[in-house]
Amino acid sequence: MTTSYVAADDLPTETMPEPERQPNTTERRPRRMGNLVLSVSSTVGLIVLFTAFCEVGVRAGLWKESVLPAPSTIFPTLATLLTKGQFWEDAGRTGFEVAIAIVFGSLLGFAAGLVFWKAPLIGRIFEPYLVSFYAVPLVLFYPVMIVLVGINAMSVIILATIMAAIPMALNTAVGLNAMPPVYMKLARSLKASPGQALFAIAIPAAGPFIVAGLRLAVVYALIGAIAMEFTTAQAGLGYRIRYLYEVFDNNQMFAYIVMVLALSLILTVLLAIVERMLLRGRNL
Amino acid sequence: MTATLTEVRPRSARMRSVLGNQFVGSALLALLVAVGWEVLSGLTFVIPSPVETLLVLFRNLSDPTYLFDVRITAQSVLLAFVIGTAIGGGTGLLLGLSQRLRLIFEPLIIILNGIPKIVLYPVLLPIFSLTGSKVVMGVLFALFPVLINVSTGVREIPRVYWKLGKSVRANPWQMLVHIIFPAIRRPLLTGIRLAVSLAVVGVVLSEFFATRRGLGRVVLQSYSHGDYPSMVATIMLLITISFAISIALWQWERRIH
Repeated sequence: MTTSYVAADDLPTETMPEPERQPNTTERRPRRMGNLVLSVSSTVGLIVLFTAFCEVGVRAGLWKESVLPAPSTIFPTLATLLTKGQFWEDAGRTGFEVAIAIVFGSLLGFAAGLVFWKAPLIGRIFEPYLVSFYAVPLVLFYPVMIVLVGINAMSVIILATIMAAIPMALNTAVGLNAMPPVYMKLARSLKASPGQALFAIAIPAAGPFIVAGLRLAVVYALIGAIAMEFTTAQAGLGYRIRYLYEVFDNNQMFAYIVMVLALSLILTVLLAIVERMLLRGRNL
Repeated sequence: MTATLTEVRPRSARMRSVLGNQFVGSALLALLVAVGWEVLSGLTFVIPSPVETLLVLFRNLSDPTYLFDVRITAQSVLLAFVIGTAIGGGTGLLLGLSQRLRLIFEPLIIILNGIPKIVLYPVLLPIFSLTGSKVVMGVLFALFPVLINVSTGVREIPRVYWKLGKSVRANPWQMLVHIIFPAIRRPLLTGIRLAVSLAVVGVVLSEFFATRRGLGRVVLQSYSHGDYPSMVATIMLLITISFAISIALWQWERRIH
């Protein structure tokens, strides 16, 4: 009875980063740890290597300081950035927009996913739009939004919320539809109330999908908010980068860029850790 | 799925199949949105009505300078899409085939996929110039879905396929063409579908920022001139084209089993 109406086909992409879950036997444990160490150390190594390459490149005169300043000149700027009110103002603005978008987007997306599960017809009608507007192209609507709502945090929040809601809705619906029908039969035979059936059975059963959807929602909200600020805004990290580019303040601009990259890196790592913790003990 | 449902309940079968038809339902939804748009445009003067937008679009499309912008954007998107798919597909294949490479590079790729790539645009500008940077940005946008899908797809090829390849002594090229490609065609198509619309977004966002020609510049210019009908018409053109391509690819993808 599981209908396959919502982008079940999208899954390989969107739930992907499941790095090699091997059977949880004690014998395999050490190897898994070894893999983890290899992954982490090589990632750190590659980043350090790239930084060193940039430094050497500038020193050796392969490119000009104005094209890509040496990391040794960016990092001190980066440190002073953290003491500046301007930076915290921009970061606060972006953080506020992203946080609101994540909260409302995931709630909206979750609710939509539930509706698509309960009423497959609605799901089928919305499916083509959700699948093809897979979040990011919505950025193109930003100019329309600023005409309608004005250049303010609201227009960014509205679009970022929708962008966060789409992966959440698709993943929730797919997860609930992938649930074995016997689960709901169990709920019926135990005379569980709709609320109990939902919270005690359906949501845990669809857990991995919902968590993956949540992770995507966070990523898309961040990407969307920064991209929109970058297009036009009055404040925010994305806006600041554009502004600094236009006033030719290269060092500051690179410091902001590195900061945005670092923030999204931290966010990605945190999300991966949270995802692992939430799904610990599941045999995936 | 619908077929079995309608067989069980023949009474409302016809009604159901009409309403249940995805195309009809989705088209109705689009119609509803258009009506909502019409109502909204009546309430505020800044948004043109759907009919007005269409008229402006046709007028624009008969204007050679506008067509030139369309061509510039289309060329950049096409180039970005082709290069992005090639790089993404190649890298994805390598990562899918080698466990070690995957362990080394996969976390970094996930991190790179999660960063807002558009902030790198000012870095690209002095390196690739105004015309090249938007293509590179499009490539950066389009690359990751293909890479990730291909890598996952290759990893999930059933082991028996590899055994079959070995037992018929297929050389690497034959393995690739006759075993790997057919086995991963669905995830590959998913990646390509996402890559198309992301290439459009990457190029147009770059054009929003700085460029000489292109539809993104048209949008921003009409925004700053207060020429909202032309702005909305251009945005709708971009959205409709990428929507149409995605839907076509998605339908194709669903037909493959």
